[in-house]
Amino acid sequence: MSQEYTEKDGSRNRSIEYAVPILSFGGALIGLLLLVNNIQVDTHIPILGSLFASFALAYLAWIRPRKDIVALSTPVYSIIFLAFPLDNVSAFILEVLYAVSLTALLVRLKYRFGAPAAPVLDKKELLDPLKSYVERTRDVLGATGTEPAHSATVAFVRFAEGEFLASARGAESAIAHLSDLSAPQVIQHAFAIVQEQAERLDKTLPQPESFLVFPPEDASLLAKIPDPKFGRSEEYDTALENALLVLFACAWTASETDHSFLLQCQTFAQKLLAP
Amino acid sequence: MRIGNVNVKVSIVAIAVFVVFTIFLLVASVFNPEVRSQLIWLIPALFMLLVIPMALNYMSRREYADLEPQYAAVAKTVRVKLINESMIGKSVRIEGVVERVYFQFLNRPQYLVADRSGAISVKMFTSTEEDIKVNDVVEVMGQVIHRYFVSGDPVINCVSIKKLKKPKKEV
Repeated sequence: MSQEYTEKDGSRNRSIEYAVPILSFGGALIGLLLLVNNIQVDTHIPILGSLFASFALAYLAWIRPRKDIVALSTPVYSIIFLAFPLDNVSAFILEVLYAVSLTALLVRLKYRFGAPAAPVLDKKELLDPLKSYVERTRDVLGATGTEPAHSATVAFVRFAEGEFLASARGAESAIAHLSDLSAPQVIQHAFAIVQEQAERLDKTLPQPESFLVFPPEDASLLAKIPDPKFGRSEEYDTALENALLVLFACAWTASETDHSFLLQCQTFAQKLLAP
Repeated sequence: MRIGNVNVKVSIVAIAVFVVFTIFLLVASVFNPEVRSQLIWLIPALFMLLVIPMALNYMSRREYADLEPQYAAVAKTVRVKLINESMIGKSVRIEGVVERVYFQFLNRPQYLVADRSGAISVKMFTSTEEDIKVNDVVEVMGQVIHRYFVSGDPVINCVSIKKLKKPKKEV
């Protein structure tokens, strides 16, 4: 999909998605209330809810690159219901069944034809155990400059998004610019590990015979220690997870302007921290 | 049943519906002469209860078969632990062991696939090419989506699930 997708478009489309079940079930509910209270009105009125819901669903199907012919054709059925209304009880049953169908079609549209949903923002602050890890490493990682810290944000966020090549390039660029000897060595090691493994992930390469790991002097700053009983694979995976967590902690501590981006990836960072 | 290269499966629910309505029709035609006069269109309609699900299954299986090479070209092989909400929409490939199987009888199977780093739900919206069971080692290819439409943890909307080797034997 090449079409630009603004936040406003996303918000509007989400509102329309919610409108489909609300309008269709709402119309059926109005029909039920009228029936129960024995209020005689034109049976077309409750059916209007299903009509509007059908057009909303058809619009959502229309704006997608891959057209769902089933969802696009639902207004035809609702117009038929409108043109040939039944008695009150039959109309209510039909409206409920139609509302269920429209809702099911909406779910199908999202799963098989829809654009991915935007990531949900996490809370506005870090939660434990990630928060504890960041606090533990603050004294050392706080000495990092703003620019390397921002590079750490880019490398981490791109990796979290599955953009492994971009993450590797960001890490490579950061290593090239990390000439400032006051920056902790652990940051350079973290960038190097992320670069190596992200490149391999992008090309779907297997674990190499030899690979970069953190030296023993960095051990106190690392979040996890590999369990030796699982062998070299565990060591390889844990090196990556530790590297990503070091970058996250560094970015959080030394680059306050990037907090909003890091919070969006907090769930991923918490997952990395888990055993 | 194979149609061309596609292995078409009818769900047990569709078969059950066909059987139930066949019984209804038989009983109705025995006791009601009016029904007998309508058999000329009732019988074809009855068989449509099987034909339509088969046709839909064939179409969806063929569509997934067409999608498979497209996904194979872009999917990245990752560990389960690396799959997160920020990867929603990304094509991924995972390898792991099937720990649980749900809804296979509905031709909408869901699996829980685990590797060393974790487990993830894999949902498929058509029947699978192979018969996948618990303890099978599989390769899954698909797109990362939310579990519940717009919310929930990330799961894989599976395009292809294939066995990699013989299933593990339980000790």
